[in-house]
Amino acid sequence: MEYISPEGLRLDGRRPMEMRQLHAELGVIAKADGSATFEMGNTKVVAAVYGPREVQNRSQQLQEQALVRCEYSMATFSTGERRKRGKGDRRSTEISLVIRQTMESAILTHLLPRSQIDIFVQVLQADGGTRSACINAAALALADAGIPMRDLVASCAAGFLNNTPLLDLNYTEDSGGGPDVTVGVFPKLDKISLLQMDSKLPIDLFEKVLELATEGAKATAEYMRERLSENTRQLVSARGLLRF
Amino acid sequence: MKTKAMEDAAAIYRTPGELLGSAFDYIAGTGTYTFQNKVYASLVGVQHIVEARSGAADLRPSIEVRREKQRGAIPQPGDIVTAKIAKVQARMASADIVCVGQRAVKEKFTGTVRQQDVRATEIDKVDMHASFRPGDIIRAEVLSLGDARAYYLSTAKNELGVVSAMSVAGATMVPISWQEMQCPLTNQTEPRKVAKVE
Repeated sequence: MEYISPEGLRLDGRRPMEMRQLHAELGVIAKADGSATFEMGNTKVVAAVYGPREVQNRSQQLQEQALVRCEYSMATFSTGERRKRGKGDRRSTEISLVIRQTMESAILTHLLPRSQIDIFVQVLQADGGTRSACINAAALALADAGIPMRDLVASCAAGFLNNTPLLDLNYTEDSGGGPDVTVGVFPKLDKISLLQMDSKLPIDLFEKVLELATEGAKATAEYMRERLSENTRQLVSARGLLRF
Repeated sequence: MKTKAMEDAAAIYRTPGELLGSAFDYIAGTGTYTFQNKVYASLVGVQHIVEARSGAADLRPSIEVRREKQRGAIPQPGDIVTAKIAKVQARMASADIVCVGQRAVKEKFTGTVRQQDVRATEIDKVDMHASFRPGDIIRAEVLSLGDARAYYLSTAKNELGVVSAMSVAGATMVPISWQEMQCPLTNQTEPRKVAKVE
């Protein structure tokens, strides 16, 4: 299939190194300690963070650090075909694990011993890159909950189709069968905390694709920082009004 | 004089991972961490620089990131809390904490008032059943974080104790002394550890 037109545009009209439109909202769930929605084009996910709170299951309590738990699920209406999706299937268990590990590496868990942090992520609309969107939403929700972190974690995917590295694949490109590289980065520390790839890629091309994905993740992080600062500014001004 | 608007304009908003300065210039305060002699933010919030008190051993100012989003109230030792008595036993009474100071709690916190913490005098002659009844609203001071299950509360002050209680007849009782409350319907008196409310 032709993924890039002769004019050099992708199926959805983007250029190869262009990301989709980003949008994030903070504090969308009143009951949670921190929450966020994150959109990358048509992909939309919501994340809620509860905690740090007391460990529910005493046997899982850790003396030296916080216990981080993550649950990933997909809404029945998130894909074109309506389908009941459990949260216990192979795919969601794997993504839950990936999100948990990525977040755990960012959280300063040693500051919160004997406590538990729960992260719930749900996909509302799936159009490729759900993994990245989930990590971004979870990072924002954690920041909103005021959980101490080493750095923000931002994630982005990149692929390689029709001999061109493509940034931020959508669903049709994702189903194209080419390699799909997802990275999670600590943008300020300039470190990678997550790297996944399906299918194969020669090493020189892999480096190119990885670099593209990393750049994408850093751009995403920049947007996330903007949103967090904007949210703080609003909270400051809201409190200023209450003070008088 | 600095106005509010000027303060807002000068405020620096920080997000996790942002470099705040060198660890040689600043002490890492709350909401920050040090890594390889550099201070980074670990929270989202507003940056504050707190000057060291004169005469302190370390004269570096400390740098802090303070959150703007408020969490639910959490009882700390020394706080005055409002609680509802849930269970009265021979040696202690358990209560659910509803307010810390003026703020309502979001989560569930339980506290226990032990027999020796009910009043300041004659603490070995306290009868728990003559001090509290289930459903009473009490004002108490948090003594300590207590054990894993509950905070330790104390009502051993004049202004602490039962502030509101229902009689058997179902009316809100009126305090008549520091040890008794009376039902306005039946004129029956019931023993309580009554708080002297200002």
